[in-house]
Amino acid sequence: MQENYLYTFAKRIAGFVGVLFVLSLMIFVLARVVPGDPARIALGPSASQEQVDAMRMEMGLDRPLLEQYVTYATNALQGDLGRSLISGRAVSTEIASLLPATLELVLVTVILMALLAIPLGVITARYRNTWIDNTGRLFSIVGVTMPSFLFAILLQLFAAYFLTDWPIIGRIDHSLAAPTGPTGLLLVDSLVHGRFDVFLDALQRILFPALALAMSGIGQITRITRSAMIENQRRDHVLTLQSFGVPDRVIVFRYLLKLSSIAPLTIMGLEFASLIGNAFVVELVFSWGGFASYGLNAILQKDLNAVMGVVLLSGLFFIVANIAIDIILLMLDPRLRLKEAR
Amino acid sequence: MPSSRPLELEALTPRYMAWYRFTRNPTAIIGAAMVLSVILLAILAPLIVPYPEHVGAAVNFRARHAAPDLTYWLGTDKVGRDILTRVIFGFRVSLLLVVGVLAVAVPLGAALGLAAGYFGGWTERLITGLTNVMLAIPPLVMALAVGNVLEPNLVNAMIAITLLWWTWHARLVYRVSKSIAAEDFVEAARLAGASHWHILTREILPNCISVISVKTTLDAAFVILFGATLSFLGLGVKPPTPDLGSMVADGRQFLPEMWWGVLAPGFAIFYATLGFNLLGDGLRDMFDVEV
Repeated sequence: MQENYLYTFAKRIAGFVGVLFVLSLMIFVLARVVPGDPARIALGPSASQEQVDAMRMEMGLDRPLLEQYVTYATNALQGDLGRSLISGRAVSTEIASLLPATLELVLVTVILMALLAIPLGVITARYRNTWIDNTGRLFSIVGVTMPSFLFAILLQLFAAYFLTDWPIIGRIDHSLAAPTGPTGLLLVDSLVHGRFDVFLDALQRILFPALALAMSGIGQITRITRSAMIENQRRDHVLTLQSFGVPDRVIVFRYLLKLSSIAPLTIMGLEFASLIGNAFVVELVFSWGGFASYGLNAILQKDLNAVMGVVLLSGLFFIVANIAIDIILLMLDPRLRLKEAR
Repeated sequence: MPSSRPLELEALTPRYMAWYRFTRNPTAIIGAAMVLSVILLAILAPLIVPYPEHVGAAVNFRARHAAPDLTYWLGTDKVGRDILTRVIFGFRVSLLLVVGVLAVAVPLGAALGLAAGYFGGWTERLITGLTNVMLAIPPLVMALAVGNVLEPNLVNAMIAITLLWWTWHARLVYRVSKSIAAEDFVEAARLAGASHWHILTREILPNCISVISVKTTLDAAFVILFGATLSFLGLGVKPPTPDLGSMVADGRQFLPEMWWGVLAPGFAIFYATLGFNLLGDGLRDMFDVEV
């Protein structure tokens, strides 16, 4: 069994590496062929043509495109994404300092999604076609169709009018000396250092952005969990359990839920792409100051090196999330393991 | 047949059954009505808006930041322009974006999906491989990158969204066409000497139409959402053209006091996306397909 796991993962990861390769090639070519000279962007409009030419040499922009790509890819594999055209600092350093903020936001979002969507799916399936189900349906349609920036703003307005003490901007109150390290995730670090005041403040601040980010995923996952639960209720082994008089509670939580979490988990993996995208919006609205805000600024300022780094890392983010979900699925679903073994 | 009243047997054609299911579905009807109202508002905008002069770069400082009342039903913005007027015109931009994106992305995606499903082999591998790569890119990030690297405006936003959007249709149509290509009637057509073109357009495509139309309707909602998000982030239509996403972004500076400046355009976007979504859901039940 162990070997099958390994074989499956080798195959999966090879596929993902291919995806990442094509992605990097695409974004590289895009960044190079578009109008707008990176050297000119770096030096600003007042630089002379000689200076720009010298800069082009230094950045290697006078070499053939293929050679440039090979250099870029080799460096990227070693964690060097080039220098920001605006600040002149290494893109990887800049991103690394902001990544924990986004990572924390995304992790809390995913936890919220799982905590809210799966129970909602179970409940709406249990009370199918009643007012509970209809309310759940309405809720998930709203979640899917409402723009995440609107939802984020509504949460802020709600806080501004009804929860006047609730902090709605930023990650942490700057008068609190937040502990640094070891993870960069404020919620974890504050607990490690035993700073419950910091923990509470950070938790309060992360709740609304995470909720705004989770909304669309909650909508989808609720629906998918619901239909998976309903479909699996008709399976023979479930009917058998029912006829044996096994209590509903046991059937739902011990048998049905496991079987029915396969479809929503798969969707959650695909959702990751739009989750990262929506993070751009939510981070802006809540002044979060993470990786996505950095990406947005890079894009608005045409900082091409930073843009490439952001797109590549977003792709990597998506891929890592999907590998993680594949692992969970393989652990959950023995049929998948059998299929892969053949 | 889920009906209590007797029906003429000859009336039970598949088309009639589908229509019956559609009209019996209240959310589908509501969705259709919402979509229709958005389209009518957009078309008739110049005739019905209360302050046609507020569409452009007009200023009306006397009524700046007026709260909703009987004169300005949805209030006014930072230079005193009527928000209702601008919201109605904003629908035009949203629908233009939808038409522009889907008119290219749907046929392109469908054609590639058909080809991948029918021909198999390296065509299949190439096209599915490409769609897999595109799926790994957060669409918003890519659209932002493309849209801004080219000049940010409506046409480039359209291009950026289209570049990503065809993949979803390609995947969907691929799935359907692959299963249909294995059906006996396709084999029969081939044995009868039909050309690839005939088989693709006359045998396989008609079976994909229902899936494509459901997906396209649902997509309209997401294109509106997507376009609004792009312009909210500052990469959409240039001012003073009224655009829902940028109106929300503008109004955000005056929160929480001037809430109408954000809520009116925000809920207008939501209204349009909700309408298309409900309609798409209804069509899905009507054609009984999985999208």
